[in-house]
Amino acid sequence: MNQVGTVALIASLALAAYGVIAGAVGGKLRSPRITRSAERAALGFFLMSTLAVVALERMILGNDFHNAYVAEHSNRDLATFYKVAVLWAGQEGSLLFWTWLLSVYGALVVWQNSRKNRELMPYVVSVLMGVGTFFSLLVFFVANPFQELFVTAGGSTQAFTAADGNGLNPLLQYHPMVIHPPMLYLGYVGMVVPFAFAMAALITRQLGDNWIRTTRRWTMAPWLLLGCGILLGANWAYAVLGWGGYWGWDPVENASLLPWLSGTAFLHSVMIQEKRGMLKVWNVALVILTFFLSIFGTFLTRSGIVSSVHAFAQSGIGPFFAVFLAIILFFSVTLLFLRLDHLKSENRLDSMVSRESGFLFNNWILLALVFAVFWGTLFPVISKAVENATVTVGPPFFNKVTIPMGLLLLLLTGAGPLLAWRKTSFQSLRRNFTVPLVVALVAGVTLFAAGVRDLYPWMTFFLAIFVAVCVLGEFWKGARTRMRTARENFAVALYNLTMRNTRRYGGYVVHIGIVLLFVGFAGQAFKSDTKGSMQAGDLLRIKNYTLHCDGLTSGETPNYEYTRALFTITKNGEAFTTMHPEKRFYKASQQPTSYVAIHPSLSEDLYVVLAGMEQDTGKAVIQVFINPLVMWVWIGGIVVLLGTMLAMVPSRVEREMAEQKKVQSPGAEVRSRAKHSPES
Amino acid sequence: MLAVRRSRLRISDLGHRTFFLLACLAVATIAVAADPPKPTLESLGNKVQCTCGCVAPLNQCPHFDCAQKAEIQAFIKKEIAEGKDEPAILQNLAARYGLRVLSAPPARGFNLAAWILPGVGLLLGLAIVVVIARRWRRPEAVAPAPVAVHDPKVLAAIEEEMKSVDGIR
Repeated sequence: MNQVGTVALIASLALAAYGVIAGAVGGKLRSPRITRSAERAALGFFLMSTLAVVALERMILGNDFHNAYVAEHSNRDLATFYKVAVLWAGQEGSLLFWTWLLSVYGALVVWQNSRKNRELMPYVVSVLMGVGTFFSLLVFFVANPFQELFVTAGGSTQAFTAADGNGLNPLLQYHPMVIHPPMLYLGYVGMVVPFAFAMAALITRQLGDNWIRTTRRWTMAPWLLLGCGILLGANWAYAVLGWGGYWGWDPVENASLLPWLSGTAFLHSVMIQEKRGMLKVWNVALVILTFFLSIFGTFLTRSGIVSSVHAFAQSGIGPFFAVFLAIILFFSVTLLFLRLDHLKSENRLDSMVSRESGFLFNNWILLALVFAVFWGTLFPVISKAVENATVTVGPPFFNKVTIPMGLLLLLLTGAGPLLAWRKTSFQSLRRNFTVPLVVALVAGVTLFAAGVRDLYPWMTFFLAIFVAVCVLGEFWKGARTRMRTARENFAVALYNLTMRNTRRYGGYVVHIGIVLLFVGFAGQAFKSDTKGSMQAGDLLRIKNYTLHCDGLTSGETPNYEYTRALFTITKNGEAFTTMHPEKRFYKASQQPTSYVAIHPSLSEDLYVVLAGMEQDTGKAVIQVFINPLVMWVWIGGIVVLLGTMLAMVPSRVEREMAEQKKVQSPGAEVRSRAKHSPES
Repeated sequence: MLAVRRSRLRISDLGHRTFFLLACLAVATIAVAADPPKPTLESLGNKVQCTCGCVAPLNQCPHFDCAQKAEIQAFIKKEIAEGKDEPAILQNLAARYGLRVLSAPPARGFNLAAWILPGVGLLLGLAIVVVIARRWRRPEAVAPAPVAVHDPKVLAAIEEEMKSVDGIR
C-alpha cells in the first residue's frame, strides 16, 4: 500500500502542476480545449488524492504497522471509529487530508461551472491547482505519510514491522473530535475557492457582480464549516481538558478564529457591492486576507513557531509555508494594484446614517478584532525576535482587548439591520430604536437591581436584549405586514416572509445566534469552583449543590484502564442526579486523560472532574465547577449554523425571477453562453 | 424648504454624534478594562502560566500533582498573605520565574506595544472609516433632480423596482 500511495502522490502532484500551466495557457490563449484539459487535470488530481487517502486509511484500518505513520498514531485496540480519525491525527496524514479536501473543492468547482463562468474558469483552475501543487509538494517531499518503518542495528538499516502502534493521542479520543478537524479543514481549505475566483476576476478584468455572486455561497459554506469546527473544538476543550472552560485564547484556537472573522467582514461588505456597486477593492482585499489567514492558521499549527497544546510537533515545514504565504501576498496584492482602475465605486455614500455606513463600522470592528487577535498571537514571536525575551500572551490580554470590541460589534449586530439603505431619517431611527432601547433599559435596571453589577456582563445582557428586540422586531413587523396584506395567520406569514427573502431573514437568525453566544460568554463572569479530596461517604458542597461520594470503581477496556468516581448529587437538599467522572490511562500511548462529567442545563452546568488520586491517602481529588449559561454558547452556535444554512437557500423571489427569466427568454442562456465562450 | 434643511442638519449632526458616541464607548470600555482587580489565588491563577510545559494558565494546568503549579501557588499564597497587591505579586513572580510566567506581557518597555497597538489599530481604523465615508459622501450640490421627487408615478415605479431588488438581496 505504501507503493500505491506513493504513486498516487506522484500522479496527483504531476496533475496539479499540469493544471496550473494548462489553466494559465488556456486562459491566455482563450482555448476551450486547453481549459477543458486543465479541468480534467483537476478531476484527475481529485481521483489520485482520493487514491492516496484510501491507501493510507486501508493501512490504518488494517493495522499495517510497517508504515511509520500508522505505527506512530494508531494501535490495534483503537476503536474503528477513532482509527478513521488517525488520518488527520499527525502532521503527514493531516497534510494529505488537507490536499484531498482541496481536490474535492476543485472537482466541485469544475463540475458546478462546467457551463458557466467560462472566462474565469481557466484561471480559477490554475489558482486552485497552484495551491494543490504546493500541498502535494509538501506531502511528497517534506511530510510523506507513506514512509516505511526502519530500524538501525549494527550500522545497517532494515525495514521493520512493529507489533503494535503508539496509539492515538488520548485527548483526541472523544467523539466530536472525530468531526472537529474535518470541519475546521473544510473551512480553511474552502476559502481557497473565493480566492481563486477573485484572482481569476482580477486577471480577466471581469470585475462586475458575477464573481461576487458566485463566491458569496462559496464563502458562506466554508465560513459555516469553519464556525462549526470552532464550536466543536470549544466543546472538545470543555468536555476533555477539564479546566471548566471552552476557550483559552490558545494560538491555534486564535488561528481558526482569524479567517472566520475576516470572512464575516466579507460576507457583510459583499452586500454593499451587490446592492450599491461600492467597496469593490475592499471586497477583493478581504477575500485575499481571508485566504491568507487560512493558510497562516495552517502554518501556525504546523510550524511550531508558537507554543500551543493543539499544535503538531515542531517540524521543518514552517519555512515552506512562510515562502508560500509571501508568494500569495505578493501575487494577489500586485494583481489588485494593477486592477485598481477596474474597481472604481459605482456609487457614493448618501448619508453617514445608513446601512452602508453600518456595514463600514461592522467591517471596522471585525478587522480591528482580526488585528488584535493576530497581533496578540504573534507578539511572543515578535518579542523573541526584537528583545530575545520569552513572553506569553494569554487570556488576560485577549479578554481585555477583545471584550470592548466584541460589545461594539454586538451593538452593531442589532443597530445595523435597522438602518435603511442610502439614508435613514431621524423619524425612522426614532421609530425603529425606541422600543428596543426602552426594553433594554428596563431589563438593564432590573438586572442591576438583581445584583448584576459588573460592567461587562451587565453591558452584554443590556446589549443582548437590545439586539434581540431589534431583530425579533423585524420578524414581527414583517409578519404583521403580511398578515394584513396577504391575510395569513402569524405562523404562515412568518414562514412566507422568511422563505421569500432567506438571505435577509437567515442573516437575522444568525444575529440572534450571536446574541445567544454573547449571553453564554457573559456567564463566565459568574462561574464558581471548589476542590476537595474525597472517598466513599464524603461530602463536598458548592453553592446549593452537595456531592455525596458513593465510592470509586476501576476497570479496563482493551484500549484504556479507568478509575471512576460515583456521585449522588442533591440540590437544595433534594435528590438531583448522579454523576461519574473518570480518569483514564491509555495503554498504547501511556498517557492519562480526564473524562469530565457534566450535568448541563439552560441556567448552569454542574461540571465534575476527577483530577487524580492522592498517593498517600488513596482519596480522589475532585474539582467541581458551576458554569452559568454555557448551554447558550452551544445553542447560539447551532442557531448561527441554522441561520447560515437558511441564508444559503435560494429565496422564493430569487427562484421566481429565475423562472420568469427562463419563460421570457428561453434562448437567453444559450446566447449568454455563446457570448461568454472564449472562442467567440 | 426650511423643514428639509433642518432635517438635513439634524441627520448630519446625528452622524457626528454617532461617531463621537462610538468613539467614547470604545475609549470608555478600554479604560474600564484597565481597573486593577483584587488579588486572589483564583484571579492570579488565570494571569499566571504554569511552567511545567503544559502551555496553559496555572488554573488550567491539566497535570495532576504538578510540582511547578504547586510551587507557584504556594508563592502566590505567601504574597497574598503578606498583603501585596496584584501588580506587586505579578512583578515578583516575573522576577523569580521570568516574564514567560505571566499570562500577559507587562505594560512597559517594548511589551507596551502589545497593549497599545490593538487600541491604535481600532482608532486608526475608525479614522480611516470616517475619512473614507466623508470622501464618499455625495456632494450636497448633486442632489436628486426635483422632477424625480415630485412625480408620484416615477416615485411609485422606483419604489416598486427597489422592492423587487430588495426581495432578492
